[in-house]
Amino acid sequence: MKKSSAQGSEDPILQWVTFRLDNESYGINVMQVQEVLRYTEIAPVPGAPSYVLGIINLRGNVVTVIDTRQRFGLMPADVSDNTRIVIIEADKQVVGILVDSVAEVVYLRQSEVETAPNVGNEESAKFIQGVCNKNGELLILVELDKMMTEEEWSELESI
Amino acid sequence: MTRPVSLATKPQVALQSYLDGLLQDATEELEASPEVLDDFQAAVLEEQIRDARPEPKPVVAPAPAVAPVPRPVPAPVVIEPPAQVSAPAADIGVVAPVEPVVEVHRPVPPGAVPPAEVDGRPSWAAEPFECLLFDVAGLTLAVPLVCLGSIYSLAGHELTPLFGQPNWFLGILPSQAGNLKVLDTARWVMPDRYRDDFQQGLQYVISVQGYEWGLAVHQVSRSLRLDPSEIKWRSQRGQRPWLAGTVIEHMCALLDVSALAELIASGAVKQMQHLK
Repeated sequence: MKKSSAQGSEDPILQWVTFRLDNESYGINVMQVQEVLRYTEIAPVPGAPSYVLGIINLRGNVVTVIDTRQRFGLMPADVSDNTRIVIIEADKQVVGILVDSVAEVVYLRQSEVETAPNVGNEESAKFIQGVCNKNGELLILVELDKMMTEEEWSELESI
Repeated sequence: MTRPVSLATKPQVALQSYLDGLLQDATEELEASPEVLDDFQAAVLEEQIRDARPEPKPVVAPAPAVAPVPRPVPAPVVIEPPAQVSAPAADIGVVAPVEPVVEVHRPVPPGAVPPAEVDGRPSWAAEPFECLLFDVAGLTLAVPLVCLGSIYSLAGHELTPLFGQPNWFLGILPSQAGNLKVLDTARWVMPDRYRDDFQQGLQYVISVQGYEWGLAVHQVSRSLRLDPSEIKWRSQRGQRPWLAGTVIEHMCALLDVSALAELIASGAVKQMQHLK
């Protein structure tokens, strides 16, 4: 995680890229974000797992795009002008995640991040790293590496 | 979430329905036909049957012979009517953390710490205690003030849901005291009779003292002083550790919200099968 000016202090400042899904705000570690793309056509991959929307051509490289809504247990939504594909690096792989929109980069002190309730049995509950109040709204921080199991990351690699 | 909705279930019907649910586990043990009994009487009977089991019954601690340590009686809590606590209309944009409508909890002065748990009764029930009555889906529930933190109005505030959580977790309410995790009280106290429309018209969140959890309720009614002898205590709390007993005179259930919050905070709730 990036530690900016407060590096080395006991309360490091972390940077998070925020995006929206279904009217809620989520944050991912800025160090894992490579770039943010406007929506481009995603080519479906026959036989791919349900959480894979398909692949895109990113300057000659094939990048798999994950259906973030499906992963988060949310209903599908139509693509809009604000829809973005965030290219991230997680579990040593470069993948894209489809989001409703990308908002900004925020700075959060480690001490501002609260743990999420540990009451869910579902797999998806495990990749909520914490929550934080920022600019008057609640930001849900996502741990990208845990967004998929080891098997699923391996499966992605083989697409 | 905050839209007031007139619930179709009348309070009395809901109460009967709830108490019927409480009896469900004990129905097989009841020799008397439950349908001939009033639901509330049946609930009491259930407890009596449990009490009559040939297990070594702990002796109820006698009242102290000496005069008890003087303990300040908490002033009655005055609950503002909803009209007076409504948030400004058209409050759009940045949502400030919700401020408590009422600070319920009053610290217990040193030296007035209640004795340890006796006969299944929580420690706060050794002496007469103040309770807050509130309504959830037409059902009246009582909670001891000593276990409560503050009351927050949901008017003008949205709960933020989190994915992957159980359906009794309604979301997070940013409050002055931090992020309050709000549970769907109706889903806990009457899971078998739960209807999705119970989530409509929730007006307040009552926080549990010492925990970051709160209970969503439809209405807060009044405070009440209860004598422990007025309550039919549940001597065995295995199935519903958060249900302390029933108050016959006021036809309501007494919740041990600390036990509920502890159950959730400990993670033990994950093992409970009846909660989806």
